[in-house]
Amino acid sequence: MPNRKASRNAYYFFVQEKIPELRRRGLPVARVADAIPYCSADWAKPVFTPLRKPGMLVPKQNVSPPDMSTLSLKGDQALLGGIFYFLNIFSHGELPPHCEQRFLPCEIGCVKYSLQEGIMADFHSFINPGEIPRGFRFHCQAASDSSHKIPISNFERGHNQATVLQNLYRFIHPNPGNWPPIYCKSDDRTRVNWCLKHMAKASEIRQDLQLLTVEDLVVGIYQQKFLKEPSKTWIRSLLDVAMWDYSSNTRCKWHEENDTLFCALAVCKKIAYCISNSLATLFGIQLTEAHVPLQDYEASNSVTPKMVVLDAGRYQKLRVGSSGFSHFNSANQEQRSNTPIGDYPSRAKISGQNSSVRGRGITRLLESISNSSSNSHKFSNCDTSLSSYMSQKDGYKSFSSLS
Amino acid sequence: MSGRARVKARGIARSSSATEVGRTQASPLPTSVDLSNNEASSSNGFLGTRRISTNDKYGISSGDAGSTSMERGVKNKQDFMDLSICTREKLAHVRDCKTGSSGIPVKLVTNLFNLDFPQDWQLYQYHVTYVPDLASRRLRIALLYSHSELSNKAKAFDGAILFLSQKLEEKVTELSSETQRGETIKMTITLKRELPSSSPVCIQVFNIIFRKILKKLSMYQIGRNFYNPSEPVEIPQHKLSLWPGFAISVSYFESKLLFSADVSYKVLRNETVLEFMTALCQRTGLSCFTQTCEKQLIGLIVLTRYNNRTYSIDDIDWSVKPTHTFQKRDGTKITYVDYYKQQYDITVSDLNQPMLVSLLKRKRNDNSEARLAHLIPELCFLTGLTDRATSDFQLMKAVAEKTRLPPSGRQQRLARLVDNIQRNTNARFELETWGLHFGSQISLTGRVVPSEKILMQDHICQPVSAADWSKDVRTCKILNARSLNTWLILCSDRTEYVAESFLNCLRRVAGSMGFNVDYPKIIKVQENPAAFVRAVQQYVDPDVQLVMCILPSNQKTYYDSIKKYLSSDCPVPSQCVLARTLNKQGMMMSIATKIAMQMTCKLGGELWAVEIPLKSLMVVGIDVCKDALSKDVMVVGCVASVNPGITRWFSRCLLQRTMTDVADCLKVFMTGALNKWYKYNHDLPARIIVYRAGVGDGQLKTLVEYEVPQLLSSVAESSSNTSSRLSVIVVRKKCMPRFFTEMNRTVQNPPLGTVVDSEATRNEWYDFYLISQVACRGTVSPTYYNVIYDDNGLKPDHMQRLTFKLCHLYYNWPGIVSVPAPCQYAHKLTFLVAQSIHKEPSLELANHLFYL
Repeated sequence: MPNRKASRNAYYFFVQEKIPELRRRGLPVARVADAIPYCSADWAKPVFTPLRKPGMLVPKQNVSPPDMSTLSLKGDQALLGGIFYFLNIFSHGELPPHCEQRFLPCEIGCVKYSLQEGIMADFHSFINPGEIPRGFRFHCQAASDSSHKIPISNFERGHNQATVLQNLYRFIHPNPGNWPPIYCKSDDRTRVNWCLKHMAKASEIRQDLQLLTVEDLVVGIYQQKFLKEPSKTWIRSLLDVAMWDYSSNTRCKWHEENDTLFCALAVCKKIAYCISNSLATLFGIQLTEAHVPLQDYEASNSVTPKMVVLDAGRYQKLRVGSSGFSHFNSANQEQRSNTPIGDYPSRAKISGQNSSVRGRGITRLLESISNSSSNSHKFSNCDTSLSSYMSQKDGYKSFSSLS
Repeated sequence: MSGRARVKARGIARSSSATEVGRTQASPLPTSVDLSNNEASSSNGFLGTRRISTNDKYGISSGDAGSTSMERGVKNKQDFMDLSICTREKLAHVRDCKTGSSGIPVKLVTNLFNLDFPQDWQLYQYHVTYVPDLASRRLRIALLYSHSELSNKAKAFDGAILFLSQKLEEKVTELSSETQRGETIKMTITLKRELPSSSPVCIQVFNIIFRKILKKLSMYQIGRNFYNPSEPVEIPQHKLSLWPGFAISVSYFESKLLFSADVSYKVLRNETVLEFMTALCQRTGLSCFTQTCEKQLIGLIVLTRYNNRTYSIDDIDWSVKPTHTFQKRDGTKITYVDYYKQQYDITVSDLNQPMLVSLLKRKRNDNSEARLAHLIPELCFLTGLTDRATSDFQLMKAVAEKTRLPPSGRQQRLARLVDNIQRNTNARFELETWGLHFGSQISLTGRVVPSEKILMQDHICQPVSAADWSKDVRTCKILNARSLNTWLILCSDRTEYVAESFLNCLRRVAGSMGFNVDYPKIIKVQENPAAFVRAVQQYVDPDVQLVMCILPSNQKTYYDSIKKYLSSDCPVPSQCVLARTLNKQGMMMSIATKIAMQMTCKLGGELWAVEIPLKSLMVVGIDVCKDALSKDVMVVGCVASVNPGITRWFSRCLLQRTMTDVADCLKVFMTGALNKWYKYNHDLPARIIVYRAGVGDGQLKTLVEYEVPQLLSSVAESSSNTSSRLSVIVVRKKCMPRFFTEMNRTVQNPPLGTVVDSEATRNEWYDFYLISQVACRGTVSPTYYNVIYDDNGLKPDHMQRLTFKLCHLYYNWPGIVSVPAPCQYAHKLTFLVAQSIHKEPSLELANHLFYL
């Protein structure tokens, strides 16, 4: 377990609270470490530990999500350091209830996360789903096609279920001791639970992972911080955003290459992003690249050479304004009509730093954009930089047409 | 529809039928009638068990027959469930007369036929028990039918319930027979009910009788319809053949029992699966043959011509060959080759072909293992059209030419069907034993309501044709447009040029419409969805009014990801255009006009109006549809007008997790819409008219008992003193009746605005048909309106006129549409959400028609 010494996690405090009771039962418990074996079973029970809030009434009904015990902490600090694992397992569809095999696990993703650190590590693997029950090939194929698009057979990346499970265990539980809480979205819980059990059957390793829901985790964190329960709609809107769908370093390599949004790893990472974006900020944590894919937004500040902003209005006004420019423009038009389409990417390539003539314009443009501190001011920056860029561009056009 | 899509659709139907079963338990129903139609050789007396089991195609055929008839049973039940909902008697103002009087009368011919029977006609329902009990339905039927008491009577029997048109002498009749094995079976026939001809059960029996009759005309039932394989229409250039056929039904209309028939076609490919496999193998080579083959074939629907049944290919079993054996129901083993030889006298020529596997539908309340059928590719014909075929313009044109019959062609086909029924001795005999007589074609008088004027900003225009007034209003300014100052165009490098020429065009046409469009920022992005989304995320700030994306391809992810981000995460109206569309040089002006109109609406503008005499009227459209990704999510789209002129709309889409097509969340929406109305008009609307589309068979009761109260309570709660008056109208685009006008000895489509509110309507409902669309090819289908709740007390005339007026207000098309505009908006909204967004769009967009 991480942070064994530095900052104690939720489970530590849970066990500590349990010690007196264990002693009363006559168990030889001296330290927290001794008590751990006796507490594991109680760990996930829906125990409601009243929060320490003097003078405030705790709402009685339905405020005890299963994971509340994890959050009965002494303060923000413990919560911030607390480590959560987000897990998801994809299946080739769901088979009807009369089938023995309800799911065909095909992809697994898991991230290790804390509010303080963001995503600390991730785990991803494709799973060999095994033989598809006769007659359900179409069903599975259709389910796959409409979501993650992982081939249902002849997919050489799929690993043996036992190996995957072993690797997963190694990932979430590298050291002996207690097992950390694992979370997934409530909609996926049945499937993930079933798949874990199914894979465990195949692998002979018996370890009942306790699977909790992210929604309850969010409720818990929110309650801890603000001493009130957030609305379900708020949680749903918090967790269900399309914003990070295309963020870099979110999907697994295969899904990224195949440009499919449904990826087990991406689901887990997006949970982490969403929690970071909306909750971690409430704790005053400076978001890092581990919290949300900031690199996309920083990188985009310096516009990639292929993505260029033109201000057509300005362009048009200039054309009307100066006769000298109209000459350029006609050359430009002519150029455009007879350059093949492939021209643009190559231009983008040369526009690196080694090009002296036209590179400067773009560099200047990039500099001016990257100087802008926030996204909202980007437009004005683009505007100011454009005129210089435009003339450069036209200069380049005429230059290339001569050569 | 492609095979794959159809299977998906079937899948939905399967799952929904499960819920329907659940629902039927909740509500009292007429007796379920699940009668077999396959008492083929009943007249030749005695049938032994053994012979029956050889008749049985090791369970495939009978299993399938059982499940399809079950499906039919459910479907029929739903139809009849609706019939027991009498909404009209609660509406005082139409209890005596629900017909209008305004408009020019027009003579119409229908596809409905009289069905005559004696005044005192009755149906007798008996229950039959067997001692000892028999499991086989076939054996039960055979034993019963062999008795002379029943052999010359008109009868329908499903193994337990027996219907007769003549009463047996005794109330309880005891019969006994002996099977070939020598067992004596005692049968007890007990009279349960005597049903008058108006009973819903009778209508079910009439439908069964007509199914039998069509079988006697050597037509085969595929799905719900009947087809005639002996007269195929060939399209040789595309290797297709069409089986002509009919959809038929018998039901009670306004005053009498009528038989209705509509022409239908089954598209078949003249290619067996084996031929398809061989061709594929030659194209791809052996190495990846199995994979490609599975990819292309699995999910398609095949038809086996030896029994004219359809199966979906769920799997391919490469390890089983036709020479392998299988176990029949009675336990004996036989090879597939021998089986087909014995059963159908078919010789399988290729003994090395793999077998197709089809998952048979399970019977109701049957939790046993799914049963599989193995089919021989050589004997399976592909049906339906693949995606590739549907995108082939020439092919679809050829199919449309044959299937889209003009009214005259339809009329000819109907006449032939009637002729066949009356001439065929078997068919006539069947009808006569039941005491029925097939009568004449119904003709009735409809009315054509006056055409509408289109109100533009400074001009009132009387369009030449209400079908399309784009030319009439070309020079007119639209009612109201906000100017577009800050906006973005996203395009790829390749489309930059076309974007600029389009922009010039757009500005020109927008100017003449009175819509001011400033120059946008043009952002060039790479050609992938991620680049588009990132550019949107980066450049959209609160000032941006609209984002236009010129998409390099019609790959769905471009559209979906942009729409998803811009309608919920960051609510800004967006306009996606395919680069290919903009490349059509000759059509640039009309494309730009259409896009300019859409953009105006997305910014909250108004295009045109029609004159609505009712002041303070709010119209609401509601539609539902299933989410494309998660089938257990229902998307409910609600659109309400927020100004008296009915030009501005409040649109909301709600997602609910239920298996039924019933909206739960109407109160939330209605309250929101009424608040909006109050905000703009400082008063509540005096009248509210709700058009509810997306209603399936059998849902009327739920609508009346569940949705209407939701609407009523939100209306009542909105104000303390006088609450608005509410009407709820169910809109259905699919209905059985068709109408033709007779002209110069041929029949034609009726004119726009034709209203039918007699004879083809139902006595127990306040309903009418309205023709509000034009079919340039084929036969126009009317839209069916059923007023299930009406506080407003509008005269039928006014209700019909108002509905017609509302069909003019859909801003995505400068012409009349088939349903009232709010319904069409709601449909468009649910479609966008179900296909692309999969979540509730942001409320910030609710005041704009952002989904056009």
